[in-house]
Amino acid sequence: MSLRQRFRVDVLEGVRIAVFSLQANRMRTVLTTLGIGIGVATLLAIVGIIQGLNSSFEKQLATLGANTVFISKYPWMIKGNWWMYRNRKNFTLEQVAQLRAQADFITAISPAVMRMSDVAHGALQVSNVRINGVWSDYQAIGNYEVVSGRFLTRADEEVNRAVAVLGADVAASLFPSISPLGQTVRIDGRPFQVVGTLGRKGKVVAENMDLSVFMPFKTFNSHFGKGRPMQIAIAVADAGRMAKVEDQLVGIMRRVRATPPGQPDDFNVNRTDSLAATYEQLTGALYAVATGVGLITLLVGGIGIMNIMLVSVRERTREIGVRRALGARQRTIVLQFLMEASSVSAVGGLLGTTVGLGTAKIVSLVTPLAADVRPSTVVGGVAFAALVGLLFGIWPAARAAKLDPVEALRYE
Amino acid sequence: MTSAPAPDAGPLIQVEELTRAFFVGGEEVRALRGVSFGINRGEWVAIIGQSGSGKSTLMNVLGCLDTPTSGRYMLNGKDVSRMDDDDLAVIRNVEIGFIFQTFQLLPRETALANVELPLVYRGMGAKERRERAKAALDKVQLTHRMHHRPNELSGGQRQRVAIARALVSEPSMLLADEPTGNLDSATGEEIVKLFEQLHRAGHTLVLVTHEPKLAARCPRAIRLSDGQIVADGPGPEVALGGGHGVGPQAGTA
Repeated sequence: MSLRQRFRVDVLEGVRIAVFSLQANRMRTVLTTLGIGIGVATLLAIVGIIQGLNSSFEKQLATLGANTVFISKYPWMIKGNWWMYRNRKNFTLEQVAQLRAQADFITAISPAVMRMSDVAHGALQVSNVRINGVWSDYQAIGNYEVVSGRFLTRADEEVNRAVAVLGADVAASLFPSISPLGQTVRIDGRPFQVVGTLGRKGKVVAENMDLSVFMPFKTFNSHFGKGRPMQIAIAVADAGRMAKVEDQLVGIMRRVRATPPGQPDDFNVNRTDSLAATYEQLTGALYAVATGVGLITLLVGGIGIMNIMLVSVRERTREIGVRRALGARQRTIVLQFLMEASSVSAVGGLLGTTVGLGTAKIVSLVTPLAADVRPSTVVGGVAFAALVGLLFGIWPAARAAKLDPVEALRYE
Repeated sequence: MTSAPAPDAGPLIQVEELTRAFFVGGEEVRALRGVSFGINRGEWVAIIGQSGSGKSTLMNVLGCLDTPTSGRYMLNGKDVSRMDDDDLAVIRNVEIGFIFQTFQLLPRETALANVELPLVYRGMGAKERRERAKAALDKVQLTHRMHHRPNELSGGQRQRVAIARALVSEPSMLLADEPTGNLDSATGEEIVKLFEQLHRAGHTLVLVTHEPKLAARCPRAIRLSDGQIVADGPGPEVALGGGHGVGPQAGTA
């Protein structure tokens, strides 16, 4: 009999015994399984939700564009004193012009001001719409797609036209049945002619990008006042040069704003790619903590397996004696109990995977978090559970194999 | 009844100056104190003695479940007294068919699966196992009960399943430990008849018992007392009479 054949028969027998024993002690199996199952479920739900967060965040970043920079009085992640940021001097169009003239690698630049307002057409109205005052370049920076009509033009800006380009949700809500082009919408009571509509962008960090309206920068200021702080939005030719571009932008801004040497910057250069880095730091820590919790749960489950396997070994002492008398070697007994321990755990893993995925799914349905579960996670969950069972089965299995056959046969 | 393995020259079992000592609470208990005898192929030998006589220890050593403290044990031409655990497992699987007082069947398995078990540990494929196990159950006239579990069988049937399990691996020796001890007398008689058949078919049988009546049915009996052989001769004489074949000293029946 070849060794391989022998091993195959041993494994098959191990599986058969495992199934038998699991069936014989259903309640116990279920309870034991539960321990591992909860561990796996916790781990999977967490991993699923975080993976979902990550991938939706990546998508959002992609809609922002990887090669955009927003110069602003406020950093995106505010640390410290908000008043300090607020009291910084506003940017001016002169500074925008200086940046455009002096910086390399800039492909598009636009000032951007924003306010929230209602937008109405006839009896229909949409609330809390972001009204943006921007230049024509903003289309390229924000990566906007025009689905009908046109975006803002330089001419719109120069002659201060009361025109507006509608985001997808605004267009759909106000003009459910007719084309919005050429129609008049009222923003804060003032009439604007619709010249274009935009394609759907989705959400970026809980912000609905489709609930927005764009109008010329100058038009915005003449209707809503000049006092608002502007951002300067910039698209850079080469995403690989972001750090260098940032240095250059900082230098130019300090010069045109006459910041004395030694003083800190009175502005922030916000990069979408550094946003990603900050985000990864945040979720990385979350990930580590959550994974730790899941692993501890699994550890507890594993100890449960070990406990139940020790009971099982004790209960089946005579059976072990019989098997040894009939020619089972120690390693055969070890294999048998390891198979049993890892099968219980694998069943738990499967259960946990199902529950974990279900939880992640439910979370994604009832909250804005989008759970993203990959097939590798499922396979990993079951395999990992089986591994836990294997590890925690080693000691009980070794104890079973070490039993003296004579004593074992006599055991009552 | 099929025939037993072809007899080779020389005794099947040869034990020389076998001792076995245990340490109980720091004290040495000598369960076997220099036991020597031989058993030829095809013999049917009873090992008799009262509890504490060392017969169980001798059975465990003969069955390769235990190893002697000193002395030599040759089984089928192999010195098994110094073998390691793995090799002993193989010897048990190949050379020995155990029959226990309490049957020692696995309760969750069917009769057929119980009989298959020794072949599993030989690494035999499922199909061949099944056929051989059926053949063995046929020898004890139990094929009609093969899909039943032990708790659905009578005591006599259980012991017959156990005998089938001992026969299935075609061992060189059947080692029975009080095989009728848990059976009523009628059923016990059935089992003894089965042993007689097996003996006639050429199997080597070693039967460990404390019952003189049972030992008297065997052609040869060895009486143990205090870890030593006190009588070795024809079964009826050793078991029942004051007569004691070639024992080193007078037996205390």
